[in-house]
Amino acid sequence: MTVAADGALPARGRAPASVRTATVSRGWIPAFLVLLGAAFSLTAASWDIQWHIDVGPDTFFTLPHLVLYAGSALSGLASLAVVLMTTAARRADREVDTTIGGRAVPVLGGTFAAPLGYLVSGAGSAGFLLYGLFDLWWHSLYGFDAVIASPPHIGLILSIALSMVGAVMVFAAAWAHRWARLGVILAFTVTLAFSLVATQGLAEIDGGVVDPVSVGVTFLTVLVVFMAVGFLRDIRLVLGFGIVFAAAQALLWWFSPWATRAYAVAVGLPMRDYVSPVPLVPAEMPMSLPAVAALTWWAVSSVGRDRPGRLVASLVGGLAGLVVTVCGLTQASLVYRSTLPTIGEMPPTVVAGVLVGALAGFLGRRFSAMLRAVVPATPREASAASQQASAPSQEGR
Amino acid sequence: MIAFGRVPRPSRFPRSGRASGPLRAGVALLTAIGLVFASATPALAYPPVETVHTERVQAGPYSLTVGYSTWPLRALSSLDFTFTPDGGIDGKRGVLTLVGPDGSEERARLARHPRKREVWGLDTFAVPSEGNWVLRFTVDGPAGRGEGRTASIPTLPQPGPPLALSWAVGTVPLWALVALIVVAWRRTGPGRRDGLPAGSNARTEGVGT
Repeated sequence: MTVAADGALPARGRAPASVRTATVSRGWIPAFLVLLGAAFSLTAASWDIQWHIDVGPDTFFTLPHLVLYAGSALSGLASLAVVLMTTAARRADREVDTTIGGRAVPVLGGTFAAPLGYLVSGAGSAGFLLYGLFDLWWHSLYGFDAVIASPPHIGLILSIALSMVGAVMVFAAAWAHRWARLGVILAFTVTLAFSLVATQGLAEIDGGVVDPVSVGVTFLTVLVVFMAVGFLRDIRLVLGFGIVFAAAQALLWWFSPWATRAYAVAVGLPMRDYVSPVPLVPAEMPMSLPAVAALTWWAVSSVGRDRPGRLVASLVGGLAGLVVTVCGLTQASLVYRSTLPTIGEMPPTVVAGVLVGALAGFLGRRFSAMLRAVVPATPREASAASQQASAPSQEGR
Repeated sequence: MIAFGRVPRPSRFPRSGRASGPLRAGVALLTAIGLVFASATPALAYPPVETVHTERVQAGPYSLTVGYSTWPLRALSSLDFTFTPDGGIDGKRGVLTLVGPDGSEERARLARHPRKREVWGLDTFAVPSEGNWVLRFTVDGPAGRGEGRTASIPTLPQPGPPLALSWAVGTVPLWALVALIVVAWRRTGPGRRDGLPAGSNARTEGVGT
């Protein structure tokens, strides 16, 4: 098994012709199906939350719920299909293409061979199914009080987020193909946008003078930005990520209230009194992300790639955390037409944002390296790694 | 103001009559979706608002009837609240304040109940913790402003398993992700790369630029 090294791995070049011809027509299908399922999940989550805020009545089979289920089903079935095909290939002693989901790992004592990316996305989808049952039981016991921060809802959200992490890994593994670049950008976008929903659960924490939701948004934003900068390694792609994220935010800003109103009309339900024109999920997405991504790129690249990375990543992460937190508080006051937090109220949350930003920078830098480890080595890189492994200086490690 | 306990803060068409492959697939998909809806129809029915217990509140010149769809209340168990001023809600508006056992307060404008539009109310709302809660009303109308409150509303402990256990189950995917990260972290550390030694192509240091 050859696995590409991370760090400075030059795996962004074109794949060998043999690999391209063998996989370019196959690997993108399940990858984009998983991504499509993730996009369904993000859209449906935003719609469903808006439905609860603007209209209210809930059952297990509202249309947003069905789209949510369809998203996880699509991701799960695509992942299952790849796992079964990989297992069949292994049993028939056929070569397994590691650009399809990454290296295959044994599951259930070797009964199945599952490409790592599809294993994670499939596990997330299976988790969604289990938490759906948990949610059904929960509502039968407690009723249909539609809060985000309930144990089964957070379990559902985390399961979908796990599936989306798998989608990121799937496209990372296919990095040798040009379509994977768009896929990684889209997967980063849906993963971050959806994960931010889970930060609503932090509202249950009494943070005192610190706003825990703002701090959570800062942490996830800086973490994913650092992963994107460290993995994409191309300013055009990093800016592309920022633009796609902003476009997704704009799309959800239009779609969520529109779909909510249209569905309410279709089923004959009235809108609530005092409905806010601001949709919750896109309003929580940081509008500063494109600028923060560019700033992070500039700050990291200005110190050079050969400088010690951890300290730089933490410092730049702290800076990014500062920007995301201050912009986030300002964004909230602008979109909700509320007054800005006073000078006395802002510092605790901003300081917390800087600290979690530094931590997210440190972790994001490391996670990007881990993600690059998913990228399969080209034959030339594998050969170089093998030669190093057999070199005397490396023995005894 | 905060909504109690809820999410915070607030062509081309085929020219022939014969359907093409993608069109047939689309028709099949729509048919399948239609069947799903047809089978789900009973579950789509929204239950009516029932009242099994009422209390009277005098808010200055206004008398209100507070209705509960279940009684007694239990923490975390949702129910419908209705607030009906004598003479109806036309020409009146107001604010509801939910006072918790610890004295904490949450306020919301009195809004019509989504499934019973002729009265104010809270739909499928759960009191978050056990103890004695109070509903306080401020009503503005033709007779001026009035304030009043309910007697203490005893709320029993939540049903089901302890909340900590439910949260432990609900966060399993997070711990699974953390476990995945720990394994990947160890396998991609500076000293080893999944069986491959660290080297010029196996470095993990530095955010690449």
